[in-house]
Amino acid sequence: MAGVAAIKTIFVQGPVPGLRLLLVIALSAVLIVADARFDKLTSVRSVIGTGLAPVHWFGNAPYELQNWIEGLFTTRDDLLAENEDLNARLLILERRALKYAALASENNELRRLMNSSEVLDDRVIVGEIVGVSPDPFSHEVIINKGSRDGVTVGQAILDAHGLMGQVQQTSSFTSRVLLVSDSSHAVPVEVVRNGLRAILLGNGNINALELVHVPDTADIREGDLLVSSGLGGRFPKGYPVAEVENITKESGEPFVNIEATPKARLNQSRLVLVVFSPDGEEDEDGNEHGQDEPAVNVGIEPDPDEVR
Amino acid sequence: MLSVISYPVFALSVVLSLVLSISLFPIGWFEFRPEWLGLMVFYWTFRAPAQFGILLAWCLGLSLDVLEATPLGVNGLAMALIAFLVLTIHQRLRMYPMPQQCLMVFLLLGINQMLVHFIKQMLGGEDAGFSYLWPALTSALVWPLVCVLLDNLNRKLG
Repeated sequence: MAGVAAIKTIFVQGPVPGLRLLLVIALSAVLIVADARFDKLTSVRSVIGTGLAPVHWFGNAPYELQNWIEGLFTTRDDLLAENEDLNARLLILERRALKYAALASENNELRRLMNSSEVLDDRVIVGEIVGVSPDPFSHEVIINKGSRDGVTVGQAILDAHGLMGQVQQTSSFTSRVLLVSDSSHAVPVEVVRNGLRAILLGNGNINALELVHVPDTADIREGDLLVSSGLGGRFPKGYPVAEVENITKESGEPFVNIEATPKARLNQSRLVLVVFSPDGEEDEDGNEHGQDEPAVNVGIEPDPDEVR
Repeated sequence: MLSVISYPVFALSVVLSLVLSISLFPIGWFEFRPEWLGLMVFYWTFRAPAQFGILLAWCLGLSLDVLEATPLGVNGLAMALIAFLVLTIHQRLRMYPMPQQCLMVFLLLGINQMLVHFIKQMLGGEDAGFSYLWPALTSALVWPLVCVLLDNLNRKLG
């Protein structure tokens, strides 16, 4: 009987696949052009992405399971010790925050005296990385906060050590973050020491960024900290991005080759901060003011919705 | 061609392959990850050409596009191409011994990867040399496992 069915299907399927393939090729061509050239399909992508959210959850499940099992076998003493540790850490950070608050208000006072606008603090929400991009040639991660949490395209993402990247796409429950090390990414930065401005490019290497168009004579040294300059209006000002690793001068070249190491732990951090710039963005309830040195990236996982 | 097909196995294998294509692989080894969804399309059009075809493969490819953030339609087109090629050769394919089947998997998934990277490069992606063919090779290596496993599941549950 199977043989008969097979013969039937041969003739039924015979001429059709070619036509279908043509149809699909035409459809795909239209989609690719509409998506890549004209950016018309963001909403379609967002809808499919929302439907595929369970795939991300499943993908993250082994990690959750491991966490849960670890939680099962953690003794009370360990937890107490950890708690004490964290409390001590919190105390230290709070003290620093107190000092910071005084400094910030003093700074604002001075700015007011100079007739420039006050600097408002950025608000942040804590997200968790639930996946990385399967494409080995792009550096992207997926976080578990989406448009439902008020995340929009272009927002900056930090970890506890520095700038990680920016939101590139959002769906309801997840968003896709382009890391600073992606070869299509650039951040306007300045050197903390003297305010020298430059552009920091990703080059597809997770541990090295490239500082471009710095003239031969510029005052820049190995070990200099690069912070986001806020120019271009995409990234908030003043977050650490990278540290200059080595500088090679080639005679005859107008610019020096500068390699910098990203401050953020691009392939290790699990908890990230989504930065809301103080103007414009709607107020998420319960969001407090974040600080320049925000969350402590510790081993245990806080409630994802908890806000620092 | 199998006489019985289990639709739950189909659904499960597709979801699992989507999960596998975004996670559960050592980060430094991403280059070598098998093209799981491509394997699934290959398997199901090979084993049940009457039920699974080009349009379904295209839809699965679209979901991979969303997961991978490639322009919508790139993987869709490449998956549909696999389905088409399998449909045209599935009668011969069934006669082949396992090593030769693996070779065909390598060729077809190689074509798939080539198309994906060709389109990506046209749209401004970076040139990766020939390293994009690794997934095709690793897929060919895991093909016997996948094939035997899914065959058994189909026989038991179908």
